[in-house]
Amino acid sequence: MMWSEKYRPKNFLDLIGNEESRKLFVEWFTNWKKGTRPILLVGPPGIGKTTLANLAAKQFGYDLISLNASDVRNKKNIHEILSPVLGNQTVLGTPMIFIDEVDGVHGRADYGGTEAIIKILKEPTVPIVLAANTDSSDKMKSIKKVVKTIEMKPLSPKLLRLCLNRILQLEGVKIDSDSLAKLVTKSRGDIRSMINFTQARATGFDPPTEKSFESLDIEEGINAFYKANSTVEARSILYSLRIDPREKINAFYSSIITSKISADDMQKFLQVISEADMLYGKIMKTQQWRLLRYLDAILLGLYKKDILIRYSKYNLSWPLLNRLRWDGTKIKSIIGSLAKTMHVSKSTFSTLYFPYLLYCIKNKKIDLEFDESLEEIVQKEVALIK
Amino acid sequence: MSPSSVMWVEKYRPQKISELINQKEIVGSINSMLKNQSELPHLLFSGSAGVGKTSAALCVSREILGKHWRDYTLELNASDERGINMVRERVKKFSRFAGLDTEIPFKIIILDEADEMTADAQTALRRITEDTAKICRFILIANNLSKIIKPIQSRCVVFKFTKISDKEILSQLKSIGKKEKIKADEKGLSAICDYTDGDLRHAINILQAAASSGNVTESVVKSVVGLTKTNDVQDVLKLALDGKISDARDKMIELIKVYGMSESDFLKYINQAVFNSKANNLEGMLETIAKYDYRILVGANPEIQLSALLAELTKFGK
Repeated sequence: MMWSEKYRPKNFLDLIGNEESRKLFVEWFTNWKKGTRPILLVGPPGIGKTTLANLAAKQFGYDLISLNASDVRNKKNIHEILSPVLGNQTVLGTPMIFIDEVDGVHGRADYGGTEAIIKILKEPTVPIVLAANTDSSDKMKSIKKVVKTIEMKPLSPKLLRLCLNRILQLEGVKIDSDSLAKLVTKSRGDIRSMINFTQARATGFDPPTEKSFESLDIEEGINAFYKANSTVEARSILYSLRIDPREKINAFYSSIITSKISADDMQKFLQVISEADMLYGKIMKTQQWRLLRYLDAILLGLYKKDILIRYSKYNLSWPLLNRLRWDGTKIKSIIGSLAKTMHVSKSTFSTLYFPYLLYCIKNKKIDLEFDESLEEIVQKEVALIK
Repeated sequence: MSPSSVMWVEKYRPQKISELINQKEIVGSINSMLKNQSELPHLLFSGSAGVGKTSAALCVSREILGKHWRDYTLELNASDERGINMVRERVKKFSRFAGLDTEIPFKIIILDEADEMTADAQTALRRITEDTAKICRFILIANNLSKIIKPIQSRCVVFKFTKISDKEILSQLKSIGKKEKIKADEKGLSAICDYTDGDLRHAINILQAAASSGNVTESVVKSVVGLTKTNDVQDVLKLALDGKISDARDKMIELIKVYGMSESDFLKYINQAVFNSKANNLEGMLETIAKYDYRILVGANPEIQLSALLAELTKFGK
């Protein structure tokens, strides 16, 4: 049996760490009545958010209805599962709702899922508890407006060591203090992963990698992907890189487009990205999120052993980025207003009118008055004419 | 000075339907329709660029709505609006604002480049025209009639504008030249005609730019037409064929993101550039462009698709 399950706290009093947060949580539960704001537990993985919710339900005599991120992908789903609960059908006893990983699944915002959750959160007829790893995304910000947030922190090394020693004693396993210290620091406060690694160690199984890919951010992920020694390794990195698919595609795009690789490789890789983008476009249009499982299979075509590609956040050079940001905004505002008076589209104006107009300005045959802030860019553009 | 008085295309834009050039039949039938204004149907003007479609629409609006025509005319350009919802919102707002002036039979909505809209968007547009039929008339403008869905065509009276002949363009250029007191030689003017191929609007723009540097001669015209951004698209193609993907892409992004060229216009111009290049593997290149034109419609990020297009075009180089 997995130790992390075996030694999961069975009782409210067995919980360790985050005393302050637990106190707030218990207070909220004790004072709960219809209409009390739902609660959001925010904190890194493996510090006991799920356990806390489970034990609290047990302690206060509620029937826990637990939803995972994948259950709440869309509006319809949410309503199907939760309507009977919220509608007070007492066959279910005294229900309490727990939604795990609310920040976890991508694209749910496009499906009306977040809106559906928020709607429910606004009129809670039963206690609702949410759990999330981060609360910084836009989606989470809108959720945060209607809930009470409780932050939970990683556990201290001292507590972790205490807990680990107890387990080792019960299991009758000995580990040298050096390794023990390593296990504690490596876990970074994630008690579940620490226990898992300890069990792996004790049973003689050495985990293949130092770091679990799940915790890789996009930069580390892309770099690890291109440092992988085989397609198999690259695949496992790619599949465990859990970030928004749009972000994933764009990150590969900007990393590849800015790398110095042969025209052949560039062409091949951009084709792959083009296909990935098409798949994503189709998913967005049809909302068939199940198609998402094929995205990584397509993206795996971007792997080539020993190719020199490293993560890049931006896909343009700085001069061009700046020109886009500063000049682009001003030129577009000039073109936008002039196109209107000439009764043509902005695109037509910029292609077939603007160059001629600038030329006439250069030859001092036309004198238009622009705002001071725009005058400068007009002069700059005039100077660019050959 | 206001922009509309300094640009000759605007200064010499026809103000009355009868002033439209070379569209005798159209002028005749629009005039007879205007005799019974309250029963005016929706109109659909089709034809190539610079033959007077927008001018005709503005004239109709002016003649029906009189001196307040600007207040009661909504001009939209499908290539500028982000999606059908934007169009719907703007039409809704416009059709609602204030009550109708009693002197005015209805408000007019001019929707330019309507063929840039997807079939889905056009279907939605059909609903919009029906919902606002009591208070609004639509004048739709399209380059390509075949890209307008049948149900819309059947709800409109369709006018097909013909190309303006070189002779007519030449005489227009001369008449403007006289009024503006510019010096132009015959060769210079016919070079403008050759280059613009029936697009009077573009011809006038070239004339004005060429005249700004002195005499309008053949060589001046040649250097002036090199100014348009379509030449930059040609450069993009050249760079791509030379295998310089990164430079080609930088230039393409500048055109789109700094100057606001639309993706569909970019594809149109690169298509023309390939066609004009008379390369051996024309079919292959055009097929590749077509492939990515489709992918832009299906995909989510046009920039990715256009970059991939440029990269794929490299294989046709050398």
